[in-house]
Amino acid sequence: MDLMAVTLHVNGSANRVEAESDIPLLWVLRDQLGLTGTKYSCGIGVCGSCMVLLDGMPAKACRITAAECAGKKITTIEGLAEQADHPLLKSWLELQVPQCGYCQSGQIIMAYALLSEKHDPSADEIDQAMSQILCRCGTYPRIRQAIQQASEMMRAKEPS
Amino acid sequence: MKPFNPERRDFLKKSALSAGSALVLGITWSGEIVAEADATPEFKPNAWLKIDTHGLVTLYIAESEMGQGPFTSLSMLIAEELEVDWQKVQVEHAPLDPAYGFQGTGGSRSVRRNWKTLRQAGAVARQMLLAAGAEYLKAPVDSCQAQRSRITHRPSSKSVSYAELVGRAAEMPVPKGVTLKQPEDFKLIGTPITRLDLADKLNGKARYGIDTKLPNMVYATIAQSPVFGGRVKSFNDTEIKQRPGIIDCFALEEGVVVVAQGTWQAFQARKALKIDWQGGKTGQLNSDNIIQRLSDETAQKPTLILERGEPIAQLASALKSVDTEYRLPFQAHMTPEPMNCTVGVEDGRYRIWAPTQSPTSAMTTAVKTLKALMPELSEAELEARIEIVTPLLGGGFGRRIKQDYVTQAVKIAHHLKRPVQLIWPREEDVQHDHYHPLTQHRLRGSLDEAGNPQAWHHLITGLQSGKYGADALAYDIPHVRVELLRLDSPVPIGPWRSVSNHYNAYAIEHFFDELARAGGKNPLELRLKLLKEARLKAVLQRAAEATAWHQQDQQRILGCAVHSSFGSHVAEIVELIRLDEQKLKLGKITCVIDCGVAINPDTVKAQLEGSVIYALGAALKPPIMLKNGRVEQHNFHDTPILSFKETPPIEVIISRSRLDPGGVGEPGVPPLAPALANALLSAHGKPVTRMPMNLNGAS
Repeated sequence: MDLMAVTLHVNGSANRVEAESDIPLLWVLRDQLGLTGTKYSCGIGVCGSCMVLLDGMPAKACRITAAECAGKKITTIEGLAEQADHPLLKSWLELQVPQCGYCQSGQIIMAYALLSEKHDPSADEIDQAMSQILCRCGTYPRIRQAIQQASEMMRAKEPS
Repeated sequence: MKPFNPERRDFLKKSALSAGSALVLGITWSGEIVAEADATPEFKPNAWLKIDTHGLVTLYIAESEMGQGPFTSLSMLIAEELEVDWQKVQVEHAPLDPAYGFQGTGGSRSVRRNWKTLRQAGAVARQMLLAAGAEYLKAPVDSCQAQRSRITHRPSSKSVSYAELVGRAAEMPVPKGVTLKQPEDFKLIGTPITRLDLADKLNGKARYGIDTKLPNMVYATIAQSPVFGGRVKSFNDTEIKQRPGIIDCFALEEGVVVVAQGTWQAFQARKALKIDWQGGKTGQLNSDNIIQRLSDETAQKPTLILERGEPIAQLASALKSVDTEYRLPFQAHMTPEPMNCTVGVEDGRYRIWAPTQSPTSAMTTAVKTLKALMPELSEAELEARIEIVTPLLGGGFGRRIKQDYVTQAVKIAHHLKRPVQLIWPREEDVQHDHYHPLTQHRLRGSLDEAGNPQAWHHLITGLQSGKYGADALAYDIPHVRVELLRLDSPVPIGPWRSVSNHYNAYAIEHFFDELARAGGKNPLELRLKLLKEARLKAVLQRAAEATAWHQQDQQRILGCAVHSSFGSHVAEIVELIRLDEQKLKLGKITCVIDCGVAINPDTVKAQLEGSVIYALGAALKPPIMLKNGRVEQHNFHDTPILSFKETPPIEVIISRSRLDPGGVGEPGVPPLAPALANALLSAHGKPVTRMPMNLNGAS
């Protein structure tokens, strides 16, 4: 298959890569750009470990091609983590959410997308969003707490 | 291998990280090896720690960090005695070195086997710093104290930092017979502390095995025989090699390997493989017939595990008895990071990044593999050419005690003579796990006139099944026989979180409720009456209080179970809420543990939450099924694990204790499934003889 030139805007910088037309974004991020914070675990869009933000919306990097992402703004965990004082990351650290940590990039990206859309998600909305990311260590109770705590911190900052 | 003696100046034997300073081996994130001459002195009194002239304390942890927290809990043991400022502590996986003894993480042993050693390692270093500090301050040692990385002369309050004492401390004699703190004097141990591995797990910087990148590295993947033990007869290598990005395609004993410029190209080529397999050991076997077939084929007889009284005679003449059979399925580990291993090859030397639970076994495996390929070299010569590096592990749960991915990666690197990363796609991981075994439990019990259990007979039959968890029945029952028929397995079997305790505790604890009900007894009260271990009784009592056990009704149904394993004692109570006549949903799960001293209580809590979720997934979700000798499942869609919204509220209660610590990674697993089954038995009046369980009764 012929390679095509694609420019990917990742975490604020433009990267020109040569890629197959059907290669998933996941493998370009990991193998070509060295952004290994985005994880491979299932490759079929079920586990959510490879979640990234595409123009601010959550997207599974194993299910979209790099070509489809041309011209879009891609944020990986490495980019998101630059906002180290974001309430979500602070809560995540304070509640010591990760265990092995492998799925946590996906968890954090998903929670970030959820809270960006809605600062005060309902329990049901948290369920719907976060059930897309699997965690084998069982950090779910702490993820729930961290999202609730971050939500409270974000709302406390909002002008009333 | 001799264990580490912290009272000797026991430096690393092999690694360039050895004595004093001289050479520091650094590994950059890209995997390049950077050897830098380091002129600044360090204080490195033993294999476990070093302090540099900036006061930075580096601890080397010889247990694999896979989320269960040894980087932090073991560091706390050293830091407690070292009297060091926690903010200045950093942690790394220890290199493979005889100084650490056997390096293998499993059996919830990390804290237990390091409990004294690591505190001694810290205490020895502290004593040397104290001696150096006293000399520096020109004061008697016994008027000085160590605290927060400083030595202070108490009368004058003059002090000096560890950083300033590095050179001097290294010259001090190693003290003999250090005294360790009493539990009441602990400052760090027992306090919830921020884990040392967390920051990098939030920003994408944490490096797992799969994240290893070497210069000029290529990517390999493998297709193994769907029928266990099958061999490659032929495959379409010519076609595969013509695909873009494909570097090589060849067969190993284990299967067909594809090597490519990138992981994805390798995975795509693997999907395009057309392999003709031959042979195999399991072609006729299914989950439903495997126990029967293997029992028929073998002349194996059960082994007597435990016997007291006259159980068989008692059962024959019993007034009232219960006879039941449970069958529990194969389970997969589903570690989030699939099996992988990276090998750097240069001038006949092999550097192996193995996300393994046992670097020692990885070395043994690599030596054995290379020995077969280069018989002219001795094992010692081969070992000298190999270095094992342990990155972070994306989950373990027992799977990574096995080293099959190391064997394969070493063979592939030897074939290619260039750096290579082997990654199994998830499908390979699901179909070639070392599974939690399928087991069958025949249980017979009888009751006396008063309805108390009188005789108990448990026959465990399973594939490489084990006795642990059934070899010391926790209850005071007069007539007991426990037998084990451990069948040789053509399906790969391996340790899975809590190992045999999982199925044996299920059989014992669920059958106990069957017997209690047959005798008209409250199962919790009967447990409190018959349990021999006071600590186990105490956690059950505590769980009963926390859940208001005696306030059950048709709307709120509870089931309890207890189990002692890995040196800890756990009681769990599962609550079911009745939605309507047909439907039940999970309520809260309560878990009480007595693990002796809880080193980092927050990690204990996290491990128990994780254990409950892990065990709940195994109880409720479709398991691994064998059909025509092959595993029917492929990936997370057909081997699901518990999801966020399926996870009920979990309360963990840690008993306060000053007794030596027990394990925490696994003991929370065994009581969960029987506690749930006991709640279902209470709700539906029928025992749960098969997994997965169905909350609404059709199991």
